[in-house]
Amino acid sequence: MSLAFKKTTCRVLVVSLLALSFQTARAGLIGADQAAGTTVPTERAMVLSTLDRADVAAQLRAAGVDPQDARARVQNMTDQEVHAMAQDIQAAPAGGDVSAWGWLAIILVVVLIWYYAVRK
Amino acid sequence: MHAQATTLSRAARWLTLWAAALLLAGCGTLIPQTVALRTDWPQGVPRQVELASVPFFPQDEYQCGPAALAMAMDYSGASIRPEALVDEVWLPSRHGSLQLEMLAAPRRHGLVSYRLAPSYTDVLREIAAGHPVVILQDAGLVFTQWHYAVVNGFDYATGTIYLRSGKQARQEMPFSYFERTWRAGNYWAMVVLPPDRIAATANEDRWMESLLGLARGDQPEATVTAYRTALARWPDNLPAAVGLANHLHDQGKLDEAAGVLHAALQRHPDSVVLLNNLAQTLSDQGRNAEALFVIRRADATQSPFASEIRATRQLIEERLRSPGS
Repeated sequence: MSLAFKKTTCRVLVVSLLALSFQTARAGLIGADQAAGTTVPTERAMVLSTLDRADVAAQLRAAGVDPQDARARVQNMTDQEVHAMAQDIQAAPAGGDVSAWGWLAIILVVVLIWYYAVRK
Repeated sequence: MHAQATTLSRAARWLTLWAAALLLAGCGTLIPQTVALRTDWPQGVPRQVELASVPFFPQDEYQCGPAALAMAMDYSGASIRPEALVDEVWLPSRHGSLQLEMLAAPRRHGLVSYRLAPSYTDVLREIAAGHPVVILQDAGLVFTQWHYAVVNGFDYATGTIYLRSGKQARQEMPFSYFERTWRAGNYWAMVVLPPDRIAATANEDRWMESLLGLARGDQPEATVTAYRTALARWPDNLPAAVGLANHLHDQGKLDEAAGVLHAALQRHPDSVVLLNNLAQTLSDQGRNAEALFVIRRADATQSPFASEIRATRQLIEERLRSPGS
């Protein structure tokens, strides 16, 4: 089975599993998120949003996050945020640390300049 | 040998001169907002503020995200330490935390997170209102090094920003230098607030977006409080009324939910969303005759919610036919 086929199968399964929970989240009540937009989210948009969530969760797992955690982390993002995440997760800034590499680079450059300039 | 040295030293001199000129010329354009602040200090913002009671958690290696977020969340009442946030915001393979995850995490703890506009004055306003601000900056000297820190004060007279950053409980940075590092991340900043407060610089629509995020989580009390607070501030806001009523409905507080919807209908008499949800709520209370009257007001044919309205109406009619079911 090719990878593309597997991916497609997975997505179909995801969508059909989640199709049940698709109508308005509560019995008969229209959600605040639908009331918010000027355009009503179509079913296509909802499906895409679900796929985005699955996609982001998968990317988080690939980045080393525990699967349970990955799902929980995606759960609290709005549709817009998830969509942005799906595009961006590889390239987006990841705030980490101020490490010593910068200083090392400067020291290296200074040493090199000294070596070539003074040594002569 | 000698000729080579002269050429090298001449080249070095030119380079230095050129770099200096570039630096001086570029200074103003590198820090446009700081320059603006010198003459246009925002009205109503005191010249000196320091939120000394913001807790300080020194960061572990690469984990400035959890540390910064924990400081902001703890200050908002979440009683949390950085270790607990590692599983919520840290990405092992990137050795850091993504901005969108920083925004999503506080919601799991019943707090509202809100990304500020990319504006220095907005940051100052938030701090003046007592809200520490989490920012993303490029703290690297040579290479880009993304870093999260918490801004908790400033002093106009000396032009200094105070941060809790890395292992420093009180880092002082000139306004200009801060802007240079902050600008690299497109002036990204966020606040974390308890659900009964609204950010000083909150934009109505974007605030409601943040609440939608909170509502997705498993924090019903906080969600209700947040929607209530938003509705009090913006009484005409439709999503706030709908969201509040829906969550009250979830909690079984049908009377209150109906009350919220009735009040909202005064302001939006033609809203099919409100009519639908009110009809549903009344029906769930057993008041099916009233419910039918309400749902009839919704013009089912034109609306994008036509199918929901039809479904609600059918349910009400069914319940009327067989009472006690």
